[in-house]
Amino acid sequence: MHWLELLVELTLMPLVAFAIGLLMVLMMRRIAARLQRRIGPPFLQPLYDIVKLFSKRTQTSHGLLHEFGIVMAVGGYVAAETLLPVPGMNGIAEKGGMITLLYLTMIPSLGLALGVGQCANPNGSIGISRALTAMLAYDIPFVVVIAGVAMHFGTTNLVDVVAQQQAGGIEAWGVTQMPLLALAGLFALQGMLGKQPFEIYVAPAEIATGPMVEMGGKFLGGLFVMQCFQLYTASVLYVTLFLGGGENWITFLAKSFAVLLIPMSLAFLFPRYRTEDMLTMLWKWPMLLGLLGLVFVGS
Amino acid sequence: MIGALDALLLLALLAVPLSGLLATSRPGRWLLVAGYVAQFSLLAALGSGTAPASALTFDLLGNTVGWRFDSLGWFFAMVTVGAAGFAAAYASGEWGDAHHANGGSLRWLYGGLQINVLAMLLLLSSSDFISLFIGWELTSWSGLILMLLGGSEAIRAALRYIVYAIAGGMAVFAGMLVTHAAAGSLQFDVVQGAVASMSSGQLWAIALLFIAGFSVKMGTMPFHLWQAPAYAFSPGPASAFLGSISARMGLFAIALVAFKLIGVSQLDRLSIVTDRFDLRDLLAWVAVFTAILPTFVAMRQNDARLLLGWHGVGQGGYMLLGLVIADELGSAGGLLHVFNHATYQAILLMAVFAVIHRTGTADLNRLGGLVARMPLSFLAMLIGIIGLAGLPPMNGFVSKWMIYRALILDGQPLLFVATVVSTLGTVLSVYKLLHNTFLGQLRLEHESVREAPWSMTVPMLLLCVVVFVTGVAPGLVLQYVAAAQQAIGLEPVAFILGGIEADSGSLDMLWITAILFAGFGIGAVLFYLMGGRSKRVHQLDNYAGGHFLTADVQYQYSDNFYAGLMHRIKPWYRDTFAWAESALVSVLGVVSSAARGFFDQANPASWALIGTTVVMTWMMWHALA
Repeated sequence: MHWLELLVELTLMPLVAFAIGLLMVLMMRRIAARLQRRIGPPFLQPLYDIVKLFSKRTQTSHGLLHEFGIVMAVGGYVAAETLLPVPGMNGIAEKGGMITLLYLTMIPSLGLALGVGQCANPNGSIGISRALTAMLAYDIPFVVVIAGVAMHFGTTNLVDVVAQQQAGGIEAWGVTQMPLLALAGLFALQGMLGKQPFEIYVAPAEIATGPMVEMGGKFLGGLFVMQCFQLYTASVLYVTLFLGGGENWITFLAKSFAVLLIPMSLAFLFPRYRTEDMLTMLWKWPMLLGLLGLVFVGS
Repeated sequence: MIGALDALLLLALLAVPLSGLLATSRPGRWLLVAGYVAQFSLLAALGSGTAPASALTFDLLGNTVGWRFDSLGWFFAMVTVGAAGFAAAYASGEWGDAHHANGGSLRWLYGGLQINVLAMLLLLSSSDFISLFIGWELTSWSGLILMLLGGSEAIRAALRYIVYAIAGGMAVFAGMLVTHAAAGSLQFDVVQGAVASMSSGQLWAIALLFIAGFSVKMGTMPFHLWQAPAYAFSPGPASAFLGSISARMGLFAIALVAFKLIGVSQLDRLSIVTDRFDLRDLLAWVAVFTAILPTFVAMRQNDARLLLGWHGVGQGGYMLLGLVIADELGSAGGLLHVFNHATYQAILLMAVFAVIHRTGTADLNRLGGLVARMPLSFLAMLIGIIGLAGLPPMNGFVSKWMIYRALILDGQPLLFVATVVSTLGTVLSVYKLLHNTFLGQLRLEHESVREAPWSMTVPMLLLCVVVFVTGVAPGLVLQYVAAAQQAIGLEPVAFILGGIEADSGSLDMLWITAILFAGFGIGAVLFYLMGGRSKRVHQLDNYAGGHFLTADVQYQYSDNFYAGLMHRIKPWYRDTFAWAESALVSVLGVVSSAARGFFDQANPASWALIGTTVVMTWMMWHALA
């Protein structure tokens, strides 16, 4: 591939991800509004919010690491998006694969954890301890899913996974071939998005929004950007593993937004679990489904 | 003309008395560091591949005993001498003076370090079972010197270690006897040839005895209880050396005996449940449990040294797991992890001991906020924990990735999931280490703490460069790993500078790292060039839920850091293994006190009377019936 073409892809992929992520945030807020019988925010509200947060006059920093944590949180996702193939663009997806992507997406979380740690606020630290526990909770079933998918397609290369599904049509899609794993993946997805019922680490009334407690201005703005990327990454990864990726941009977008509809609709109907119950929940049902799914993949 | 190997061994031998002489003065200690540089250069000059044999050789019981490096031993030896050199440099400046002033013995520290290196070189270059056993015992006992230097707690742990080490040595010796009986020789080449004609019973005995004996040193479950306290409480540089490489001698010996001498095809004769589950599968599961359980034990520790010690045990599980998968990718991952672990574990222990040097404690509930006072030590620990947790772009990620991939391709999804469980646990645990030491609120008594002296930070930061560079360009190390694989009869891994290129999924760390740093760059541009200027505030300028904060209020979340998780998983492991060990001890105690009671009996005749009565009653009962 020509280097210029690659450079364009590497620039476009995070930009597109960000734009779609903004729309996903909008969708999340509109769903919440509908369920709560409100009208919801206007189309450009997520963008307004970021601009507002960045241009606030009071920007409180607790030190270099606080700032660098935000840089890592945003930058890590910018990097991760180039490993996630989208229609017409593979970026450097073939240099990494799904395991690398899984671990690369831990870098933003680490950045956030470092930044919060520097703030010296125990509410933040408690939040991070809970967030990391949540990661342990949802990543174990998610890894079962990854293992099953990698075994089924015989590769960890996401480009190959998409190509195999698209060559075989809907019968070859991950979701038809491995329905149990796809179901387990939905549980993990719910955890990954950090929405109810798995958002004890934010718990505004108890620990003052946890990791966000000392975040204001562009620090919070950075986390907002991170959330856009997070929504995009989670849903596109699910589409890539189970729904045949995107044949073109229209089906790709349709699938990505459709996938997010499920966890988002569920989120606003449930109260939050305590940490212990979240662990029990995520280590019981998705694990059972996932392990059963693995048996079918193996046989 | 003296051979290169002999020159190396002689230098190492000569450096032992020199260490005793020179260690008390600063220039003397720098000379000793230069001695390690010389040993490292000599070793590097020997080169990977078939090196010349030592001139030291003798006949014993019809066996020729000798020493010669192959690529496997050489690879381990490079890591060993390198680790010792960094440890020696770390102690050469202010740390050594402080240790001396506090009544610690530098002569024993440096002498013990050099004796360890010598013993390990002898073990790693052994070329028959007798030299292997000599090296094994020397290594076991010389480790004890360093462990005993750490004071009362360390001595208790060291006494425990002795029992394990003797038991392990006995198993190895018994394995040698069975081998001699089965093969008629203790020469490696003769044994190698005889393995195919051994009965599976003989092979079982040999494999089990050797692997159990060597596993003791590895700290593989169920022999894992001694290691963390024994390594953790020895003085800083000794702890860094022991923690980074010492336990890997067990892995080396397993690789040598199980793979080079017995061989994978012969090992696969040892099936447990038909063809579905054999000795290698058993070892893989043992390795996985060794990777998981100690990790979650580490998470509970409140002493930074013990936390790292338990992770050392756990990471050993990855290495063994990679090795027993025995395909090109997995075994390369396992061997590469030896190098990677040695580098980041040394950094982490050095950073912890730098904190101890400045604050006097490694108690994770009595530290915090030190990033503002010791930024370089923080940076070192950050790079170290990214390596230990196995996240890109540090070297720990590459070796773990290779093991994951091998497990998936090998059709072992459960083992894969289990290793990732261990990795996730490690992420949690190392964040606790970093957070409780360097992040959060700085304590009042640490307001005036300064950065560690350059003699301590420079070795740490140099190792950080190694961890980063070998993470970005793992091909630099993989060439030696591939040679080591060939030396033990495995397929060598096909690698590129940036990692692995394969049809079923590649890894190119050059690209991954470049894109990651580009991402950080974009993040930095967005953050620093857009929006308002940020203003630095004091750490007490914080949201405290309406409370008024002053510096004397402890406002740091550190104790029982993962309370929710612990609440859930604690009932799952109630110190089962510690219980089993103490049960064994009490059974032995009861038996020995019974024996002693019998021996000390004031009136033995009464026992004889009781015994005779019982026997006669029994006989009469039978006669009547």
